[in-house]
Amino acid sequence: MYTTYKLTIAAIKMLTRNRQAFFFTLVMPVFIMLIFGYIGFDRPQLIDVGVSSEKPTPQTAALAEQIKKFPNLTIHEGTLADEQEQLNQGNRAAVLDFSGSSIVAYTNASKPESQAVVSILNQFISSATLQSAHVTPLVKVESHEVNAHNLRYIEFLLPGILALSIMQMSVFSVSFMFTQYKQNGVLKRLLATPMKPIQFVAANAITRLMVSVVQAVIFIVMGILLFHIHVVGSYALLLLCVILGASMFLGLGFTISGLAKTVDVVPVFANIIVFPMMFLGGTFFAISNMPGWLQVVAKLLPLTYFADSLREIMTKGAGLATLWPDLLGMAVWGVILITLATVTFRFQEREAA
Amino acid sequence: MPNIIEVKDLTKKYGELLAVDHISFSVKEGEIFGILGPNGAGKTTTLEMIEGLKRPSSGSIMLDGKDVERETEAVKAVIGVQLQSSSFFEALTLTELLDTFGAMYNRRVDPMELLEEVQLTDKAKAQAKELSGGQRQRLSIAIGMVNNPRVLFLDEPTTGLDPQARHNLWDLILQVRKKGTTVVLTTHYMDEAEVLCERVAIMDHGKIVSLDTPRMLIEQLLAKGFSKPVLQQKANLEDVFLATTGHALRE
Repeated sequence: MYTTYKLTIAAIKMLTRNRQAFFFTLVMPVFIMLIFGYIGFDRPQLIDVGVSSEKPTPQTAALAEQIKKFPNLTIHEGTLADEQEQLNQGNRAAVLDFSGSSIVAYTNASKPESQAVVSILNQFISSATLQSAHVTPLVKVESHEVNAHNLRYIEFLLPGILALSIMQMSVFSVSFMFTQYKQNGVLKRLLATPMKPIQFVAANAITRLMVSVVQAVIFIVMGILLFHIHVVGSYALLLLCVILGASMFLGLGFTISGLAKTVDVVPVFANIIVFPMMFLGGTFFAISNMPGWLQVVAKLLPLTYFADSLREIMTKGAGLATLWPDLLGMAVWGVILITLATVTFRFQEREAA
Repeated sequence: MPNIIEVKDLTKKYGELLAVDHISFSVKEGEIFGILGPNGAGKTTTLEMIEGLKRPSSGSIMLDGKDVERETEAVKAVIGVQLQSSSFFEALTLTELLDTFGAMYNRRVDPMELLEEVQLTDKAKAQAKELSGGQRQRLSIAIGMVNNPRVLFLDEPTTGLDPQARHNLWDLILQVRKKGTTVVLTTHYMDEAEVLCERVAIMDHGKIVSLDTPRMLIEQLLAKGFSKPVLQQKANLEDVFLATTGHALRE
């Protein structure tokens, strides 16, 4: 116990004094989150519409005014020739010409939203026609607003980036350190002491599990303070998922140290596995937007289970009843990766013969 | 003096290659025992088998009355080791390194006392990577001494060091022996073996080709009628070097 305790203290010192590890573990993910959080992908996109009106009739002028007040449109007023030029350059979804008694709509075929502009215009025309004919509409649409909890992009993103950062930290900090120590003979030197290798491995694994919990705390506190997210689900379940997720990626880190003979190949091995998961693991965008065959692959990735479990707990307050597929997925990956690690990773290169 | 190490018929095979070929020897308690030989002779392999780092293909090794193969952990508890590559953990100070290595033997050590013995107290707060070659080797020895071992193994301790650092390390090794620790070392330098070792074994192609005190080995060679032109030199180039640059350590 004393040995493992002292080794853990030493491992914490080694990790916290490593500036590079500190940067990639905390600084970088925080930057990514700030950038994506403040870009705000969830704001509705405004449609650019060009409007020109030369000598309009009172009717067309009234319609032009209505269009200008419509939300979600950015109105650019100018001469027809100027606005058509802008349309040709792709800067307008549509150009509406309210000159004289007729309205001409010029649309950009490659912009789907230009059709929306035309239908909005058509709606205004029909309601104006009905009104002038003093006809009551057959059906009246009444809309009730529901204050549903809509998932903001930052709420989707934060659990994903947290899962990603824990994966990066677990995989890279273990694989680099242990491969280097294997290569420069430190592990061999440790074998010459009565300490059991598992004690050293355990000390380093415990250290990284602690770091992953610290990462989770920092991300959640930042999310609450800066982006006003609220964590719906249980913190105990979050902790369980963080530990499970970090454990399976520690297994991956040790497997890479087992396979890599020199430090040079570590980033190659690690990135081949980690890089595709950054984009397929549901960190930045939902898996449901992917083509069908890719969804099948993406859903089985360890990072997907991990990010999904964190997201379900944080945004929907999921309990064990709905989380079990994610937990099972992580447990299976954990067993696979830790088994691979014990098979491949040795303190000393295996002897030929 | 009783034997602290007994090696019998020790062999190490790598496929078809016999790296160590049926060697037998013993090391007496309290002596400095040298293993000499060209590169690839099997010195390091022999050392690592005695240290319990490599499994012998056949043969037996007893150390301090314990079978190295069967009681590996008990053997590791009573030996100190310095390997050829003297890399240690990054980001730890020398004090923390010694403390951590002590913990691996389940011991609380006094890092300053160990650093004092190897003249590194002024580097207590430095990291291993900031040390010079000679300082690194002295640190290796200090780490090898954390468990107050019965036997200290040194694999080419002075390779790559300047003459001042070499002489300084010799003094340190003699000091370790004076405390009653048996020392087993490998070296390429004959002057080193002559100065330090009570007895030396010369290895070649995995075999021990001769084993005796340096004095006796020379006598035996002379008895065979060996002679070389005698040049009575009152000083050699190393003496000149040390007289001009001084004995003080450069680092």
